[in-house]
Amino acid sequence: MVKYTIRRLIQALPTLFGITILSYLLMTAAPGGPVAALTFGQRITPQEREAMAARLGVNDPWPVQYLRWLLGDDWMRWDSDGDGVSDGSFLIPLDADGDGEPEPPGTRLGIIRGDFGTSFYARRPVLQVIVERIPATLELGLASLLVGLIVGVPIGIIAAVRRGGLFDNFTRIMAVIFNAVPIFWLGLILILIFGSMLGVLPMGSRCAPTLIGDCPPIYARLNYLLLPMLVLSTGGIAGYSRYMRTAMLDVIGQDYIRTAKAKGLRPRQVWFGHAARNALIPLATFLGPAITGLLGGAAITETIFSWPGLGRLAVAAVVQQDYPVVMAVVIMTSIATILGYLLSDILYAWIDPRIRFD
Amino acid sequence: MRKLNRVLLTGLLLALALTLALPTTAQGPKGGIILEASFGGDPATFNPLLCTETGCARLIGLMMPGTIGVDPEIAAPARVGENPRVRGALVKDWQISEDGTVYTLTFRDDYFWTDGTPVTAFDYKFAWDAIVSGQTDTNLGYVQDVIASVEAPDATTAVVTLHEPDCNALLYIGYIQVIPSHLFSNDFTQFNDNPWNFEPTVTAGPFTFGQMRSGELVSLLANPNYVDAELGYVNSEGFIYKNVPDATVMVEQFLAGEVNLLDSPAVNRRSDIRAAAETGAVQVYAYPGNAWDYMTYNLANPANPQPGLDENGNEIVQEPHPIFGDVRVRQALAHAVDLEAIIDGAVFGEGTAMASTVIPASWAFDETLEPYPYDPAKATEMLAEAGWVDTDNDGVLEAQGALYAEDGTEFRFTLYTNEGNTRRAAVGTIIQDELSQIGVAVDFQTIDWNTMLDIMYAQTYDAIILGWRQGYPDDPDFTQIFSIQSDVPGSGDNTGSYHNQRVVDLMREARRVPGCGLEDRAAIYAEYQRIVKEDQPYMFLYAIDGMYAASSKVEGWNPYPSNMFWNVDAWSVMP
Repeated sequence: MVKYTIRRLIQALPTLFGITILSYLLMTAAPGGPVAALTFGQRITPQEREAMAARLGVNDPWPVQYLRWLLGDDWMRWDSDGDGVSDGSFLIPLDADGDGEPEPPGTRLGIIRGDFGTSFYARRPVLQVIVERIPATLELGLASLLVGLIVGVPIGIIAAVRRGGLFDNFTRIMAVIFNAVPIFWLGLILILIFGSMLGVLPMGSRCAPTLIGDCPPIYARLNYLLLPMLVLSTGGIAGYSRYMRTAMLDVIGQDYIRTAKAKGLRPRQVWFGHAARNALIPLATFLGPAITGLLGGAAITETIFSWPGLGRLAVAAVVQQDYPVVMAVVIMTSIATILGYLLSDILYAWIDPRIRFD
Repeated sequence: MRKLNRVLLTGLLLALALTLALPTTAQGPKGGIILEASFGGDPATFNPLLCTETGCARLIGLMMPGTIGVDPEIAAPARVGENPRVRGALVKDWQISEDGTVYTLTFRDDYFWTDGTPVTAFDYKFAWDAIVSGQTDTNLGYVQDVIASVEAPDATTAVVTLHEPDCNALLYIGYIQVIPSHLFSNDFTQFNDNPWNFEPTVTAGPFTFGQMRSGELVSLLANPNYVDAELGYVNSEGFIYKNVPDATVMVEQFLAGEVNLLDSPAVNRRSDIRAAAETGAVQVYAYPGNAWDYMTYNLANPANPQPGLDENGNEIVQEPHPIFGDVRVRQALAHAVDLEAIIDGAVFGEGTAMASTVIPASWAFDETLEPYPYDPAKATEMLAEAGWVDTDNDGVLEAQGALYAEDGTEFRFTLYTNEGNTRRAAVGTIIQDELSQIGVAVDFQTIDWNTMLDIMYAQTYDAIILGWRQGYPDDPDFTQIFSIQSDVPGSGDNTGSYHNQRVVDLMREARRVPGCGLEDRAAIYAEYQRIVKEDQPYMFLYAIDGMYAASSKVEGWNPYPSNMFWNVDAWSVMP
């Protein structure tokens, strides 16, 4: 299994590399640009805009920008005699803003050397900006995933057991409704009912606002988590219940279930001890995308509930064309996706003896 | 007996001391936390020289002193001490040289940073040096258009020299805000990354920095040593700027008391807020606003964008836009759009029609200048005179002897606005509908913000609906937007290629009126407004009425249009 895992990880590297190239290309090809997004409405002359573009390096061709992001720029512009003034450059001009003075030597190391750069907008290291959002993102994502599984799986099992019955039909209709209802609408309705009309739950944020100190432990602020978690888990409940129902129905037709029944086992033992356990196996493949979803955040839910997650940050970064932040999110979600699918495969082989690592 | 007397005397003295002490305790800070909902994301910086958005501007205004005082009632520069409304500013007096080019500022000597270091003219000089150093990411470079140099001969004196006399000099001097220079290196190499920019542990305003919880809030704590506090102390415990990125939820949170302060709530929810005010649950202050919307025309050919000037500074004669290059067409369209219907439909009646770039709340506003009246019949007549008639009776006008369009060209144009802005989307829909009634076909599209900026700066559009926000005190100068130097495809703000030297001259003249009397200046701006109305580089729409709202639990709240927070040190929040 170790060999298999290492081989898969090595195989993933070209994929990751391809994703970053494609993402960078798409991002820089998008209309507008960081300078227009950052300076609209400000009293900035055309010359100052040009200088800003040169400083951010966004005037360079996209492959050069990509290489700077990947490998840094300390080898693109350098100071060979140590007098503090750049005297050599490769791929980029020595005097990028055309003011007659060479630009300072490059200091970026590139993500290969652990430098994710500085956010154009927040002006802080990208990693810092992102890491601040991860706890809230994981909190909401994990809670929603768990609720989705804990509620959705039993519903699917019962719906399969009582196929064609009232419960099955009811949950089918509910699954369609929950899949179809727009998240922003559901979120607003829940806020209006529980926050505004009944006043029993807060309307947003991760915890109560305080002048100093971070949020208390999660068990002390579950009331803040409840509504966004409900909204975000509706899709999961609907999806997992339908998937589980189908998987159960597949399993129910298998010989070993007939054998179990023939042995005289009680229906509950047949359904839950034999059928459900085997029907759960394909669900392991869902874990890959689910993990990606956890880290990718949920921009709409986070916006409605003022939740300080990564989804909102990512959407804002795209709107502001904050390339370093967008790329960091892309890298993170790509790695999460690759690891998620790898985990799925490993889990699948682990719980299903018929599958072997090859 | 003597001992008993001594005990009694001591007891009496203690009782007296307690009696004296009790009222003092009762007059101490009432406390409570001011909780304002904010729409935007995290502030990018707390350095006033780097701040470019409303979030950081709000928080900096509460933590840092201003340079020149502003009287909130008249929204004009004023000397500290002139009246109790002028507070939180460093310059107590200024002298102007006879030729009007040298301003000698006298700084107060009773203002201290929270680490005990005095706030001095040297801090001001440092801020100026940072701006002109070329080493910083400041967006205040434009102050150099007016200010030539700043010197600080001693701790309480700064000498500001202008290039030439300018009636906006005090505004420009005030744009340069002090920072605690003792925390920065003099060569500015680490200026942009200085930790103070992100965690301003040293401040000098009514509040000090508390914390920033990314994506959630920024908190400020009452500054116990704030020198300009009306009551002698800051009355509340602190201020929280709470991030609520959804406009509907923001109003709901306010009405439910989760936040207790709102600035410019969504226009479609203002009736709910007014209803709450009638019950006494909230306080509301409405005023003529400083944000306004317009539809900008591209006056040059979008198929061939050109800069206004060549490399040698000579004017380039640009190809006109086939439709909007003719001023008669633009004037006709102004008659074809019902501004009142737009104000009702797009901003729920919360707006005032505009006739030029000067907002109704401005001191320079010409009250006698009315917008063009809604008169579709006259619009049709004017378009016919300009060579636009429906020759084939298909409902769309065609060029027939038009100034710049070939005969047979249909009167069609594309109108953009940014996706997600329901107000501007409503404006576009109404304009599309009303213009269709006079035979003008509008392809109205809401597009991604960055795509729109790209198209706008590239000057490849026909028309775009957008908005501006004026500052307080209002500077009606529009040189940045309408000068030929700003007509640079790709990066200039004169994206519509509007060139009128008289307009630029008038704006320059208004800033150089001897004595700088507002009436004299307003007379010049009146002529400017008349010309701009006639030229119609924009279809002028409306200024959105402003609104501040506070919970009735917020005591001491007494806003002026220019500044809701001028007396924030005296506010308290009841439990």
